[in-house]
Amino acid sequence: MDSWIIVTEAGPVAGMAAAARELGGTVTAAVVGPRLLAESTAACGCDSVQWFSTLDSVPAESLALQVADLVAAASPRLVLALDDPAGRVLLAVAATRLGAALVSSVPGLSVEGDDLVVTRPAVEGKVVETLVVPGALAGVFDGEDVDVVSPVPAAITEVAPSGMAPSMRIIETTVAPGEAAGLQQAERVVSIGRGVRKREDIALVEELADAAHAKMACTLPICDDMRWYDESHVVGTSTQQIAPDLYIAVGVSGQPQHMSGVRAAKVIVAINNDPEATIFKKCHFGILGDLYEIVPALTAAFKRA
Amino acid sequence: MKCVIAFKWAKNPQDARVSADGAVDWRAAKMVASDDDAAAVVVARDLAVGDELVGLTVGDGDVAWAAARGATRTVSVADVEPNADSAVLGEVLAAGVRRIGGADIVIIGDGVWDQMVSMSLAGQLGWAVLAGVVSATAEGDRLHVTRKSGTGTEVIEVGTPVVLAVAARRAEDKPPGMKDVLAARKKPLEKVAMADLGVTSVGGVTLRGTALPEAADARIFDGADPEGAVEQLMTALRSEGVL
Ligand SMILES: Cc1cc2nc3c(=O)[nH]c(=O)nc-3n(C[C@H](O)[C@H](O)[C@H](O)COP(=O)(O)OP(=O)(O)OC[C@H]3O[C@@H](n4cnc5c(N)ncnc54)[C@H](O)[C@@H]3O)c2cc1C
Repeated sequence: MDSWIIVTEAGPVAGMAAAARELGGTVTAAVVGPRLLAESTAACGCDSVQWFSTLDSVPAESLALQVADLVAAASPRLVLALDDPAGRVLLAVAATRLGAALVSSVPGLSVEGDDLVVTRPAVEGKVVETLVVPGALAGVFDGEDVDVVSPVPAAITEVAPSGMAPSMRIIETTVAPGEAAGLQQAERVVSIGRGVRKREDIALVEELADAAHAKMACTLPICDDMRWYDESHVVGTSTQQIAPDLYIAVGVSGQPQHMSGVRAAKVIVAINNDPEATIFKKCHFGILGDLYEIVPALTAAFKRA
Repeated sequence: MKCVIAFKWAKNPQDARVSADGAVDWRAAKMVASDDDAAAVVVARDLAVGDELVGLTVGDGDVAWAAARGATRTVSVADVEPNADSAVLGEVLAAGVRRIGGADIVIIGDGVWDQMVSMSLAGQLGWAVLAGVVSATAEGDRLHVTRKSGTGTEVIEVGTPVVLAVAARRAEDKPPGMKDVLAARKKPLEKVAMADLGVTSVGGVTLRGTALPEAADARIFDGADPEGAVEQLMTALRSEGVL
């Protein structure tokens, strides 16, 4: 059973390719974007790369039909894409062409006889559900990335442009604000929520971040309502997703819109004085206590470490 | 431009009951508009100025939600249940849009509870589509659409017909007042069935079952003794290999 993966942005592409590998057949990547993206995908454990080069002014979505035609012609059993806006568009158009079932969250899958089986968290993580797909499946991959051991890069074939005038044009790009705070690359991140009472108190937490060699992040209300940090520091559904090794949330309640931004963090630590706070169900370690007492003690511990 | 606002097509997982054996009971949960639906209707209202804004909804729940927020009439496909195969709802909504006819733009919540329904709707209409949309303005017969891209935004020029999947940043600021809610109930409502739309698909996914997740219990240290709690935490972090 062969698979395709659709890549329009950097992300856990190696994890996605590994999930597609579970089917045992070949894994072909359709990459829409710059040459660099095609090259990084080629080193992610797929068998071949079909590369659709785009101009800076053309969004990946405008090639949706062309990509779907190529994918459908191969009639794979499985197509996966990441959850960025363009990736989802291309996946849905390909799914329609293929007549495939479309599943909005596929962290991984297995094969049982002729069926594809997807096991995924549902109902906000309160349960794990098992889906059985007897036919073709198109899914959004939201599982973990993997390290590719000594990859032999796959061959890249450039697909000739269709000659059709693109139906869309990028006329303005704002400098990605997320980059300003450096959270995308950070190995350690300390974040604050509304548990911090006054602007002056941020210094206390920033000192912890310094001692832990961490970058500072925050919840949306700290940016939108309090205006203590700019948008580049906010993490969550409507802002940015990050993947540090260590995420220390200080005075953060742990609402799903925030936590979806740190789902890929390796270890999540919560400091909160409410034993009922949701974040205690979504973290790995927690300290139940007043942040004004815990943070200075933790800062001292990091300074000693 | 003639706009269709597709709304209230999912159930809020917070309304589901999970029992001790991991079974999920959705019976008490009706379909509700999400934060994304509320952001979508704001975009729709602006684009529909001077033309018609038609509501399109499925399943149970409040059919007058969009009418209370500016839609002139609503089409409701009542006999629809959520489906793990997003293509099923996509097909129903696409058939609804065709039934309404003549739309230039379909606006829909990007869908925190199912991020592929909106995409499938566009795929099945065969229209251009943009996801992660923040705002949009009409410039002549084209649209300038601002959408999320990585950690920034892009403004994209696109023609019609087009589907815009709008992502919210906050809960609805100004819910309609009682007057609008009451007036909405008097606006035209057309109820149709899946069969009227010629939709028979049951989808390609079956749910085998649900179970409680393996207890990945968090270890919570008591901060009554801050130094002690911090010491325990540091030991734990060291053994996780993140220090
Ligand atoms: C459409 C939409 C999109 C959204 N997108 C995002 C997003 O991208 N990112 C995001 O972050 N949010 C987002 N939100 C908002 C989100 O739902 C929450 O409202 C927000 O994350 C809560 O922020 P908070 O944890 O700082 O505040 P609160 O929920 O008020 O929590 C404060 C916490 O601090 C604790 N606390 C108080 N005092 C102390 C003390 N002395 N010591 C220790 N703990 C203390 C409290 O117990 C509480 O748990 C979005 C909301 C909507 C509707």
